[in-house]
Parts: sequence; C-alpha cells; structure tokens
Amino acid sequence: MDFSFPKEHELFRRMAREFAETEVKPRAKAIDREHRVPHETVKAAARLGLMGVPFPQKYGGMGGGETGYCILMEELGRVCTSTTTVIGAHIGIAAMSIYLDGTEEQKMKYLVPLAQGRAIGAFGLTEAQAGSDAAAIKTTAVRDGNEFVLNGAKVFITNGDIADTIVIMAVTDPALGAYGGITAFIVETEWPGFSIGSLENKMGIRGSSTAECVLQDVRVPQENILGQFGAGFLTFMKSLDVGRASLGAGCLGGAWAALEASMQWARAREQFGVPIATKQSIYFMIADMAAEIEALRSLVYRTAWMIDTGQPHILEAAACKLFGSEVAHRCIDKAVQIHGALGYSRDYEIERGWRDQRITEIYEGTNEIQRIVIAANLFRPYGMRIPT
Amino acid sequence: MKIIVPIKQILDPSGITFRRDKERMFINREEYILDPGSKAALEAALRLKEQADGGASESGWSVVALALGEPHADDALREALAMGCDAAYLVTDPAFKDADISVTVQILAAAIDKLGRPDLIVAGRESGDTGAGQVGARLAEALDYAGITDVYALAVDRSSVRATRRWGTGYAAVRAPLPAAVTVAPEAFPPRLPHGARIMSAYREWDVPVWGLEDLDLTEADLSPRLALRREGFPPPLETGEVYRGDPDSVAQELVIALRLQKLIS
Repeated sequence: MDFSFPKEHELFRRMAREFAETEVKPRAKAIDREHRVPHETVKAAARLGLMGVPFPQKYGGMGGGETGYCILMEELGRVCTSTTTVIGAHIGIAAMSIYLDGTEEQKMKYLVPLAQGRAIGAFGLTEAQAGSDAAAIKTTAVRDGNEFVLNGAKVFITNGDIADTIVIMAVTDPALGAYGGITAFIVETEWPGFSIGSLENKMGIRGSSTAECVLQDVRVPQENILGQFGAGFLTFMKSLDVGRASLGAGCLGGAWAALEASMQWARAREQFGVPIATKQSIYFMIADMAAEIEALRSLVYRTAWMIDTGQPHILEAAACKLFGSEVAHRCIDKAVQIHGALGYSRDYEIERGWRDQRITEIYEGTNEIQRIVIAANLFRPYGMRIPT
Repeated sequence: MKIIVPIKQILDPSGITFRRDKERMFINREEYILDPGSKAALEAALRLKEQADGGASESGWSVVALALGEPHADDALREALAMGCDAAYLVTDPAFKDADISVTVQILAAAIDKLGRPDLIVAGRESGDTGAGQVGARLAEALDYAGITDVYALAVDRSSVRATRRWGTGYAAVRAPLPAAVTVAPEAFPPRLPHGARIMSAYREWDVPVWGLEDLDLTEADLSPRLALRREGFPPPLETGEVYRGDPDSVAQELVIALRLQKLIS
C-alpha cells in the first residue's frame, strides 16, 4: 500500500492552495454579502487550467484525473463553498457528463471550451416535481425530423443563468419510464426558446447562482443527444457518481477549515485564566473533528484512486458525499460552539461556513438518496431490491 | 536570445522553528520548496521572453533553469518547467556536498559552459535560506559578463540590457552590453502560478537531465572551498527602540527631547 500522492499532484495542491488563498479567499465574504458569482475568479481559474482539472489534455483539460479534481475541491472548500459550487457544478456534472458519455465530436465541440474555461457548464435535471425522484421529470423532447423540440422547466440549476452549455434531461418516451424513456441533450443556452426564470435567494452558497431554466420549443439537433437515446438516466447516474467523490472533497476542505479556525481560536481565547484549548470540553471537540477529518480524507482519496484506476466506485462515491457532508456539518457546528458568540457573528467566516455547509447534505442527491444508493449496492448481491 | 536562470531549492521555512534559548534551529518538517528569490528570477526571465515573442516558444527565445543541489532539487526544476521554462538541468554529485560560494559559482559556470553560454543570466538577489546574495554577481565575474544587481525593472534588446536597480535610497537606470548577468529584487517580480497542465507535463512528459562531476569541466582547485565554517550561532537580539523609565512627567520630557533631536517633532 502506498498512500502518498504523485509528485505532480503535490505540486498541483500547492498551486491550488495559493490560488485559493490569493484569488478566492479575499472575495469569499463579499460575494456572499453581495449575492454575486465571482466571474473574475472563474476567469483566473480558467487561465490556470482549473476549469478542466480532471479531463485529459487532448480535450483541453489539465490531466489531473479525479485525484487532481478532489485536490482542487478540497483546497477551494477550505476557503469558499460558493466558488467550490460554481466550479464543481461546471466540472463535476456538466463537463463530466460530456466527457463520460459524449461522442468525439461532442467532446471537441463542447468539452474543450468547457475544460479551458472559455464556456461555463450547467446540468439540468431537477424539476419542481422531480428532485430525489428524478424519473418523474416532465420536460419533454419530441422528434421533428433531425431535431428534437424541448419543452419544460428546470429548477435549482447551479450556474443555470451563467452557463453557455447545459445538459438537459428530457422525456423522449413517457411509456418507457426512467430506463429507456429519458434522454440527455446538450443545449446551448443561446438557442431560441431557452430562458432564465427566477433566481433562488439562498441561505448559503450565495456566491453561486441557482436558476430556473425554462425551455420553450428549444430545437436541439439530433447530434446533440448525449449518450444513448433513451439512456439519459444512466448518463446522469454515471456523472453524479463521479461528482459525489469530489463533493466529499469539498466538504473535507470545509471541515478542515473549521478545525484550523477552532484550533487557532482555542489557543488564543482565554477564559478562567487559561486558553480554552486546555479545557477538556473544548479539546475533546477538536479531537473528534480531527479524527473524523482523517477518516474522510482517507475515504475521499481512496475513492478518487478507485475512479482513476477504473474500479467500481458507486458505493464509495455515495459514502464520500454522505459522510463528507455530515462530517462537515458536525465540524462546522462544533466550530461555531467553540467560537461562542463570535461564531454566530456575521462578521466572522464561521457563520458563513455554517450557512454554506448545509446545502451539501441536500444537493446532488440528498443524503437520504445516498443511503439508498449505498444500501442498494450492499443488498444487490443477495438479489434484493431496495425500494425507494 | 538565450536566458539561463540559476535556481535553488531550499528547506520550507514554514517547517522550521528557531529557538534562541536553545541556540538551535529545529526542522519540524523536512520539505523543500523552490526558493522565492529563484521564483522571482524565473518570473523576470519569462516576462522578457513573453514580451519579445508574445509567448510563442518557437521564435528563438529560450529560458533554461539550472540548479545545483541534492537530487531532490529535481522538484524545483520541474516547478520551473511548469512555470514556463523551456528546459531544466540538475547538477548534483556527492563531491559537491561541501561547496562554498566560490565552489558553487565554479560548478555553475562549468555547467553554463556546457549548456552553451547564454546572452543573459537572471538570478535571484539572494536565497531565502543562507541569503548571502553573492551567486549572481560572482557568476558575472566568473564568466566575464557585465553584472547588474538588485534589479527592479528589466528590458533587453539585441545587444544590451537595460535595468532599473536600487541605488542607495533611490533607483538608477543602467544599461550594459550583452552578455550580462542580473540579479532581481523579489518584490519587483511576484511570480506567476504555474498552469495546471504544465504541472502534470513537467512530471509526466518532460525530462530534467542530471549532470555530475564527470560531466563538467572542473579542476581540483575549482572544487576546493575557500571558506571554512567554524560555528553557527544567533546574532545578538535586536534592540527595538529605547526604553524610558521613571515618573511620568520626567519620562514625557525625555521623550519630547529625544523626538525633537530626531527632528520628528518641532
């Protein structure tokens, strides 16, 4: 067993950390306050190849694999969950779905500009009546010659309003249901009929945008079908599987930041004549945080290694997302407690971390869905189907 | 135009603590980084190349990084490649272990001769570890190049180098014929972050040739140190300011007089 990172990944982590510290962290407070997407950060990330970290260089990517991508998410997650979300949705589900299921032509046309950061990506699955129950989507795609005509509305779409390219899931055969009846399409947001509805006013990750995307007679050429016709459900399952490992990595960064801040404060803050770090009630909390973070770090990078070496990883990736978001929850919550009233203050980053963290237990498959995924994988060898 | 940048790998200062009470330096984490002064030199050289050819590397400009050090200095050279260098060379040999500055300069000069003498050498003003600030200037002497130290702005044309260098409390604009060696001020050339794809390629695709003693044209005399290290120690503690003691009225009076003498108040 060898738990060390390849040297290129070590150097990449140093670069990613410096980028996070110099470009992302100084803006984190302002973009949260001003509720705006940090376009300047995205541009700077693109110049360094950060918008295409996992993808091969022949597709305009950095060639860092899932391991490199998890390193980026961890380092961004340490300083700003909003920026992590913007870049994560772009790479982890939008570009990733085209990389995993796109044809060579689609990759050249759509993945290359996404990976180079010249275009921004989004992924359109969720609808008002179809969240965890993704098969219940109502957006339709009806064939008309060599084109499909898309109608419907997607909600809670990260990057929806800033995207150039969006992957849309639509029903192509209602009779066939989830497997066979849903198809993924690559849609250019400039095409007639695509528009943005309302923007969400969120509790956290306020530096990322979450939009309603409306499709009204959007004509999509047949060659923009992503993956097999009727197999859209598989396309998004595959993409989300990979995305979940990196979500765990983002949570790892957030949890680590909570630990770092807590340790710093516990050493500096004196009560009853001593630093509070010397109080068992405090250092037990800090020890618990550190132990969980170590476990999460091992899980995340082992899963990344499994993905990079082509091993089955559905259970592990779901565990990354489930365990990662809950570890982040516990760590940031303890950090608030350790910081006392200061942790509750809007002037301090702990409060932002607490608000930002909460979504990680919900988006990209709620934690309840992750438990179903894990249980289904556990019981499948015994011929048992886990009902949703 | 060929530029050689001598670079150095140093112990990461964030992994070191100094204990004055124990008169010792403790290495808590033995990690090595590309010296910040070297990074600035790389930045200065790469900017010259980019200004000349718009970043296209095929137009007769090359920036070559050269490091003398332990085998693990390979990592510093790969970082230099990732930042944008066209080639990188490592000079390492157990025989170089006790090199002082004069030996270091002889080894670097021999390596530079083997690489083919460049039009320009850009070095850091001083390294972040020993901080002697001598290699750049002494390389200029060893190669019989014009030398300019402590440079804040830099430009080259076909036959000369123009530089703004620190001069007392101000600056001086100077010009020297090529070939020349300059050392740059780190604060004037904040280094770029390397592109992610170049980081990957620097380790997976590109080579860093390694030269040892037998590859270089060096004599016994070149390798004989002139400095002998007798002792390492801490400088005396810095006296920060002056302390006035006594009753408040007389202390205030003393302070006012002192400030007047310094012409800080009138």
